Amino acid sequence: MPNIDRRDFLKLVGAGGVSVGAGFMLREANKDATEYLIPHVVAPEDFSSGLATWYNSVCSMCPAGCGISVRTREGLAKKIEGNPAHPVNQGGLCSLGQAGLQVLYNPDRLTGPLKQTSARGSGSFEQITWDEGLDQLGSRLDLLRAARRGNRVAMLTQGVRGHLAQLFDNFMRQLGSQRLLHYDFNHPHTLYAANQRFFGQDRLPYYDLHNTRMLLSFGADYLTNWISPVHHSLGFGESRQGSSNERGRFIQIEPRMSASGAAADEWLAAKPGTEGILALALANHIVSEGNYAGADRADWAVALTDYTPAKAAEQTGIPQSTITRLADSFIDIQPSLAIGGGAAANHSNGVDTLMAVNVLNYLAGNIGQEGGLLLNPEPTSVVSQQQQASYSTLLEFAEAARQGEIDVLILNGSNPVFTLPQASEFREALASIPLVVSLSSFLDETTAMADLILPSHTYLESWGDDFPEPGMGFPVGAVSQPVVSPLYNTRATGDIILALARQMNVGTALPWENMEECIKDGWRQIYERGDAQTLAQGFDSFWTSVLRAGVWGETAAGDSEFTLDRSVISNIGVQAPEFSGSEEDFPFILHPYLSPNFYDGRGANLPWMQERPDPMTSVVYGSWVEMNPSTAKELDLIEGDLVDIQSLHGTVRAPVYLYPAIMPNVVAMPIGQGHQEFGRYAKDRGVNPIEILSPEIEPITGQLASSATRVNIVPTGRRSKLVKTSGTSRDLGREIVQFADVNGVELSSAGSNSIPITEVTA
Amino acid sequence: MSLFSRFMDGWRKYRKPGYYDEFDYHWTMAIDLDKCTGCQACMTACQAENNIPIVGEEELARGREIQWIRVERYWEGEYPNAKLSFIPIMCQHCDSAPCETVCPVSATYHNQDGLNTQIYNRCIGTRSCAVYCPYEVRYFNYYDHHWDSPLEQQLNPDVTVRGKGVMEKCTFCIQRIREAKDHAKDDGRRRVQDGEVQPACVQTCPSKALVFGDRKDSENEVSVAINDPRKYRVLDELNTDSSVFYLKKVDA
Ligand code: SF4
Ligand code: SF4
Ligand code: SF4
Repeated sequence: MPNIDRRDFLKLVGAGGVSVGAGFMLREANKDATEYLIPHVVAPEDFSSGLATWYNSVCSMCPAGCGISVRTREGLAKKIEGNPAHPVNQGGLCSLGQAGLQVLYNPDRLTGPLKQTSARGSGSFEQITWDEGLDQLGSRLDLLRAARRGNRVAMLTQGVRGHLAQLFDNFMRQLGSQRLLHYDFNHPHTLYAANQRFFGQDRLPYYDLHNTRMLLSFGADYLTNWISPVHHSLGFGESRQGSSNERGRFIQIEPRMSASGAAADEWLAAKPGTEGILALALANHIVSEGNYAGADRADWAVALTDYTPAKAAEQTGIPQSTITRLADSFIDIQPSLAIGGGAAANHSNGVDTLMAVNVLNYLAGNIGQEGGLLLNPEPTSVVSQQQQASYSTLLEFAEAARQGEIDVLILNGSNPVFTLPQASEFREALASIPLVVSLSSFLDETTAMADLILPSHTYLESWGDDFPEPGMGFPVGAVSQPVVSPLYNTRATGDIILALARQMNVGTALPWENMEECIKDGWRQIYERGDAQTLAQGFDSFWTSVLRAGVWGETAAGDSEFTLDRSVISNIGVQAPEFSGSEEDFPFILHPYLSPNFYDGRGANLPWMQERPDPMTSVVYGSWVEMNPSTAKELDLIEGDLVDIQSLHGTVRAPVYLYPAIMPNVVAMPIGQGHQEFGRYAKDRGVNPIEILSPEIEPITGQLASSATRVNIVPTGRRSKLVKTSGTSRDLGREIVQFADVNGVELSSAGSNSIPITEVTA
Repeated sequence: MSLFSRFMDGWRKYRKPGYYDEFDYHWTMAIDLDKCTGCQACMTACQAENNIPIVGEEELARGREIQWIRVERYWEGEYPNAKLSFIPIMCQHCDSAPCETVCPVSATYHNQDGLNTQIYNRCIGTRSCAVYCPYEVRYFNYYDHHWDSPLEQQLNPDVTVRGKGVMEKCTFCIQRIREAKDHAKDDGRRRVQDGEVQPACVQTCPSKALVFGDRKDSENEVSVAINDPRKYRVLDELNTDSSVFYLKKVDA
C-alpha cells in the first residue's frame, strides 16, 4: 500500500514550505499591499483612519476550527473572511462563519455580571460588580476546596480545545473535582469509538475528499455539519471539477436528502438504521467476488457470511442489483472512500454501523491511500483533545445533582436545557444545585436558570488557540486574538477562571496574569520544541509570525502505521436498530437534523441567519416538518397544515412541508429553532424537536440515539403560513439550471412544465 | 456622410452597451453549478459586505426581501428519483441591459468597466428597472431599514446605506474594484492584476464554485471558465449579453 507522507499532505492541502521534524509556518495570507496584516500586539486603538486592518483568528461558530481574517476599520469589525493560509478552510467560510460579526455586535449580549434576585427562571436579575460576582463564586469554591469537597463542583462547557481546555483541566484538578464535562449535541462519539476500535487511535483520520474519485457516504452530511464542512466542500469542488480529468462520483445514502444528498450523483434511501447492514453487504460482495486478496480473506468471508446482498436487500430496502453495483464500483473506481455519520451514526447500532464503513475502506485498500482515509500521526506538541461527555454521562451528572451531590455548577457556553431531550429531566435536576453560575455571553435557556451570570467576551474579543480535529495529516495550531476591544463589561473566559484561581489561593498552579500570557506561555513551549531554524529567530519573532499568519503547522516524525487487529474481524456485525415507540401507535420515524443555518441552535440569535432561507426548502424564520408528498396525500395534508408531532416523550406542533426526497415513513425536522430565551431574534420562534426525542442510547458510547424516536402525526385542522423566499420549486421548462454530460455535451432539460404534486397548495 | 449613414452610425453606437466603444475592464463572473453545494455562504458574505438590511418576517412574507445574491433551488422528478439543483443568481450585469433603457432618470447605467451600476441618489423609485429585469435581481427599499444597536457598528464604511424609495442590487462589489484600482495606481501600475479583485461572494465560497475576473485578459481563470464546453448564460435567448456565465451541472 503506497504510503503518503506529510510532504504530500502539504501538497494536498496547498500549504507552504516544510522541513520534516520541525515546526513550520504556513504561507502568509496574500492581502493587498496597503491593507496591513498586522498582529494584534499593538493596542487596538492603533489604526489609521480610512485604512482597513486585518487580524487573523479562529472561527468558533462550530467545532471545525476554520481560520479567519477579520477586517477592521477605525477599531470596528466589518467583515470576516476565511484565512487563505489556514489548511482547514483555505480562505472559504460557511454561512454561519460569515455571520460571526452578529455575535459580537448582537443587541442581546449580556453586558456585565448579573445576579438572580427572585425565583430561578423568573428573569429578574440585578447588576453587580465583577468583584461581587467573583467573590460570591470564589469564596464558595474556596470553602469547598478547603473542606476537600471540591468534587461537589461541576463545570459543563461547550467543547473547547487548546490551552483553554488545559486551563479548565488544571483548575478543576486544583479544586479536586473530576466533574469537568465538555458537551456538544453534535459530537460524533460513535465515530470516535468506531475508529478507536478499528484503528486503535483516539484521533480522527483525515478523509481525503479532494482526491477521491468515488465517495460513498452513509448518512454523513459532510457539506453541512459533518466534522469539517468547509474543508469537505473544498474537497468536493476539487474532486468534481479540479485538476483531475476524472470527475469524482458521489453517492449518498440517507432517509432524507441532505445538502450532501442533493450534491451527490446518486441518492439512495435505505431503511433508517440499516446503513451498516448495507455496508456489510457491499463488503460481502467484494469478498465473495474475489475482489479482496488480503491474507485475512478467509476470516472476512466467515465474518460476513450473514450479510449477503440478497438478505440485505430485504433488510435495507435497497435492491440487490444496486448493492452489487455499488460494491463493484467501490472497487473499480479508485481511489474510493466510504464515510459514515449523521442519522446513520445516531442509532442504537451507531458504532457497529461506522465499523462496517471502515470495513469497506479496509477491503478496498483505501486506508493510507491518497483519496482515501489517512491516519493522522500522534501530535507531539499540541494540546491534547478534550474528552466529550456523552448523553449517559450527563444523565449520571443529573442524577448526582438530584442526589444532592453537587453544590456548584459552572456553565460555559453549553446550553443543555435546549440541547437535551425533555426526557433527561435536566432542567429539573438544576433545581437541586444550590448555586448555578453561567459564563455565557447570552441569556440562553440554561443561563436563564443561573443564579449568577459572569458573562464572557465573545470569541472576537478574546485570546485563545485551537488545534482542529481531525489534523490535516500533520497537527495544525491556530491562535485567536482579539480583533476589537471588548464592547462591554465582560471578561475572557480564561481570565475569569484565573481570577477564581487567585481567589482560591491556587494561583501558583495557574500563575498567569491573564489568558494572553497563558497562551503565550503555551506557545513558548511549542517554540522551544522547534528545530534550530525556529529557535534561531527568537521567541518574539516566532510569536509575531504565528499571530501574523494566524496558523502554524507541525511536522511530526514518523508515520502512523496501521495493521488490523484480527480480533476486530470476528466482532464485525450490525444488529437491527431499536426504536422507541411501537410502529402501530407511532407509524413514523423522526429524522431530526441540524439546521444548516443554526447548527445546534447556537446561530438562531443572529438576524442574518434567521433571514437566510433554509437551503433545501427556502423557509425563513420558522420551523416545519417535512414529509413525503404521498404520505401527505394519505393524511390529506397540504403545505402549511399544522400538525402535532407526538412521541412517547412529548409533542411539538409545526406546519407541514412536502419534501420530495424523504422516505414515506420518515418525517424530518430541523434543529435550531424553538428557543424560549436567547434574545429577540431567537425567542418564541418555531419549535425544538430535541424536546420530544426518546432517551434511547447507543450502548457502547452512551451517545443519544437521536434518530431512534418514532412519532405519530396528528392533524390539528389549523393552518399557518410558511414564509418561503422561493416561488415554484420546479423549473417549468425555463431551463434556468442546465445539464451536461461529463464531456460537457448538453443534455436536454429533464424539467417538465407540468405542476407536480408538491406544488398543489390551498 | 449621408444622413442615413450618420443615423446608422448613431444607431450602432446606441446599440453598444453604455455607448462605449471599448470597456476598460470587462468584469465577469463564472459559476460552476457542478461545484455549488447550495450552502448560501455567498449570500451571508454579500449581506455583510454590502450593508444589506434585515427586512423582518412580515416583509419577507410579502415578498419584499433584499438579497443581492440568492440561491434558487429546483426539484426534478418524484421520490425516490427526486433531484435537487441549486443556482446562485445575482445581477447578471448585462451588456444589453433591459433595466438601463427604461430608467427615466438614468439612475442605472453602464459604466466603463461593463458594470451595470445604480446611482442611489438619482433613483426616484419608479421601480421600472425591476419590472424590466428578466432575472428579478433588483430589490426595492420599501422602508428606511433599521439596525438594532449596536449591529450598525458592523456596517461597511465603503458602501452606502440605501434609504427608503431606492432600488438596489448586486454591484459586483464595486467598492472592491475601486480599491484595487487605487492600489494599482498607487503602485504605479496601469492595470489591476488578475486575482486582485475578489467580490465577497467569490471570496467565501467553500467549494470555490465562483470565479471572478476581467474577460479582456484571455488567459485568466475566468476566461478559461467561460470558454468551457459546459458554459451557458441564463435566459440567453433574451440577448441580454450578460456578464455572468454558468457552467452546466454534470448529470452522470
Ligand atoms: S465550518 Fe463554518 S462555523 Fe464551523 S468553523 Fe468553519 S466557518 Fe466556522
Ligand atoms: S457559497 Fe458557493 S457553494 Fe455555497 S451556495 Fe454560494 S456559490 Fe454555491
Ligand atoms: S459580487 Fe458582491 S454585490 Fe454581487 S452578489 Fe457577490 S458579494 Fe454581492
